[in-house]
Amino acid sequence: MTNSLNDIRHSKLVFMIGSNAAEAHPVAMQHVLYAKEVNNAPIIVVDPRFTKLAAKATDYVRIRPGTDTAFVMGLINQIVSNDWYDKDFVRARVAGFPEMCKVASHYTPDVVEDITGIPASEVVRIAKLMATHRPGTVVWCMGGTQHSIGSSNTRAFCILQLVLGNMGKSGGGTNIFRGHDNVQGATDMCVLSHSLPGYYGIKDGSWKHWCRVWDVDYEWIKSRFHSKEYMNKKGFTLARWYEGVNQDDKINQYTPIKALIQWGCAGNSNSMLHRVKKAMDKLELVVIVDPFAPAMCTWGEKDNVYLLPCSSQYETSGSLTSTSRQFQWRFKVVDPIYESKDDYEIMAELVKRLGFADKFYKNIKKVPEDITREICKGTLTIGYNGALPERIKKHTLNWHTFDIDTLQAKGGPCDGEYYGLPWPCWTETHPGTPILYDISKPVAKGGLPFRARFGTKITYYDGRTEDLLAAKGVANPGSQVKGGYPEFKDIVPGTNWKTDLSQKTIKEAIKRGMAPFGNARARCVVWTFPDQVPVHREPVHSPRPDLIAKYPTYNDKPDQYRVYTRFKSEQNPDLVKKFPFVIITGRMVEHMGGGAETRSNKYLSELQPHVYAEINERTANNLGIRNGQMVWIESPEGGRAKVMAKVTDRVDEHTIFLPYHFAGQFEGKSLVDRYPEGMAPYAVGEPANIVTNYGYDIITQIQATKDGLCNVKPA
Amino acid sequence: MARMKFLCDVERCIDCNGCVIACKEGNNVPVGVNRRRVITINEGRPGERSVSISCMHCSDAPCIAVCPVKAIYQREDGIVLVNKDICIGCGYCFMACPFGAPQFPSGQVFGARGAMDKCTFCAGGPAETFSEKERKLYGQNRIAEGKPPLCAAMCSTKALLAGDADVISDIFRKRAFQRGSGAGAWGWDKAYGGK
Repeated sequence: MTNSLNDIRHSKLVFMIGSNAAEAHPVAMQHVLYAKEVNNAPIIVVDPRFTKLAAKATDYVRIRPGTDTAFVMGLINQIVSNDWYDKDFVRARVAGFPEMCKVASHYTPDVVEDITGIPASEVVRIAKLMATHRPGTVVWCMGGTQHSIGSSNTRAFCILQLVLGNMGKSGGGTNIFRGHDNVQGATDMCVLSHSLPGYYGIKDGSWKHWCRVWDVDYEWIKSRFHSKEYMNKKGFTLARWYEGVNQDDKINQYTPIKALIQWGCAGNSNSMLHRVKKAMDKLELVVIVDPFAPAMCTWGEKDNVYLLPCSSQYETSGSLTSTSRQFQWRFKVVDPIYESKDDYEIMAELVKRLGFADKFYKNIKKVPEDITREICKGTLTIGYNGALPERIKKHTLNWHTFDIDTLQAKGGPCDGEYYGLPWPCWTETHPGTPILYDISKPVAKGGLPFRARFGTKITYYDGRTEDLLAAKGVANPGSQVKGGYPEFKDIVPGTNWKTDLSQKTIKEAIKRGMAPFGNARARCVVWTFPDQVPVHREPVHSPRPDLIAKYPTYNDKPDQYRVYTRFKSEQNPDLVKKFPFVIITGRMVEHMGGGAETRSNKYLSELQPHVYAEINERTANNLGIRNGQMVWIESPEGGRAKVMAKVTDRVDEHTIFLPYHFAGQFEGKSLVDRYPEGMAPYAVGEPANIVTNYGYDIITQIQATKDGLCNVKPA
Repeated sequence: MARMKFLCDVERCIDCNGCVIACKEGNNVPVGVNRRRVITINEGRPGERSVSISCMHCSDAPCIAVCPVKAIYQREDGIVLVNKDICIGCGYCFMACPFGAPQFPSGQVFGARGAMDKCTFCAGGPAETFSEKERKLYGQNRIAEGKPPLCAAMCSTKALLAGDADVISDIFRKRAFQRGSGAGAWGWDKAYGGK
């Protein structure tokens, strides 16, 4: 998220694609509605479903699932070919523009209409709206990312903002609403299999950096791995960990996975749950850490599951990072109840038994303050270093002194600082960076150029060579270099700005009015991706055989995060004959994630007691299905779910929608008696993910749960 | 004296049910009793609108007029309350109310019911203020604490307004005024540039 939720109050237009914020982010909506009311900002909602958010839109655009890139490249094509793009911004701060335009030129309004189902005239009209209402913000969520071309979708959204010149501006930016209060923090800590905290990666240099931060011997860390190869090899992802157990697709690891710890993560958010269930019985050990008994503890047939009750967020304390990159201190309200323990205590007990507590807690005497301090010390890449626990607490306790519009404190103990010290917060006196890439402010006051991350020069596939640094004369006020410059290094010999733990390099850069990470152009071409410029590719399970021929998916990836991932070999033009409907999943406002907590609340369960499948009236009538009747949803993977039919106009006649929060029933069979005594939730139902399909993003391997196929029949 | 009113701004209500949950959790309302609910019309179609409804604390409240035992009364600030010690659960108020506000904890439409329950504007009830009896029978007394009702206080988009009628109608008037301005006056920016 480049801006903040509050900054949407300055938007002249809000473009939301693949987001149902009215249900997933209700509190954020106050800022969206403020922009609509006060700025008369058009609210454009692009979604296959007429959502509760769409009900608040000025312009609703119904799109075929999985075709976001085609639509957005179509908008870009209109903006460029009508000369509506921000020429100065593109000249000074964007790279790969001609290459991108050439690709976009394919997406004429008629081509876009054929792929997306959006009328050609709407493509032109929406493009013009965006061109005449600047700055506008672009918001997306999992509806944009959970596709086999998810990474192309998100890049297309960014390029759209670049050509409009909306980046680095109040009211503009790319704003990806996070679903939980600390998702940004979890992301920054890289709770992922391909990077150490702070986006450092897993190369030798990254390990050595963190070993210095942790003050442990690199050789000792190395000795903990099976072999050095695995230290630098990307691990299994959350989306496909169970393949490491089942091995239905070939794995690239010396051993199958034997044990699983699922900590604060809902098992029923995984796609193809019947395969997850199968893996449960093959694992030797399953440990689930959660405040409420989650779905997963009911799936295994074997006695191999341990359930550790942890406390809720109100029974512990610590720092978090919100969707707006703001730090906040969470103070404990009450002590953990019953036999539950907070996460720190569970972790400590685990580490003690594993036998390396001395190393693990070397820098940590006081929990949780010293943990935050260690994170700050090492996470220089995104400027966590200035957000020390004392400063975070000071902000949280004085939140009332900050302005709701600018997020800046007016007087008081945090005078001039931005609420929550939005990262990067480069030094202990830095006010935080409320808007990323805002070149109008000095770096010391929260300004920032684009990062020089990818070298200083590039020769593209078409033979053109381009300087990747920002144009002459373009830099933050007060910068010693009036134009582009590379990242800072060798201020302390042998280090750069992100590995110099003394932070001298960062301080030196700020002193010179410059950004530690350089001043470069944002790129439209990513030369390491299979699609260097985003192009449309049909979903792996596509309902359009004619378009599969024209826009086929990628070649299979034999070793994607240690597992063979099928793309082309999985794309079958005949699949739609047996599975004629597109299945999409999403949220209900009343329930949260896997729903273990919210379905255990009697009032929320009263409001939303059942899982249901939204079916268009026409479809329901054609299939002989009445509102409230039970139906079977069947997936091409063999999973099936028995749910209630909700006949509604929210979806079109080709699409079926299911909320994914439910559990407690599996393929028609109740699992309520499998919960520990007294722990079964009030609201139970089939998890939607039993019927989500195979399919993963080509780069991130996120599951494609927003564009699969299914069949529906009366139960 | 200030007259207390509710106002739900349908342009802002996103049907999140936060008001309903705040009311139920905060006042320990039994499942099945809905002091407040969100009603949606035209669901899934253009023109979809949601509105949060509870007892509106009417002027000339019809429930008071029909109550045969004078269990329902209106405070000086307009808040309509029921005395559960007097209520006989006859259900006349339910028939008279245009908003479906009166709720009954048990029984069917005809036959024996418990005492009527409804939104108190978070002003407790006729029992002694802040007493255990008041909390148990009627819920919190936030008005006596100088706080707005929970539903409005927790509204995620500030659609639901509660409080002094003059103040909340001013807030709404300002919103209505803003909605009619700005880009609606096409070309003003360019033509006059604020001069």
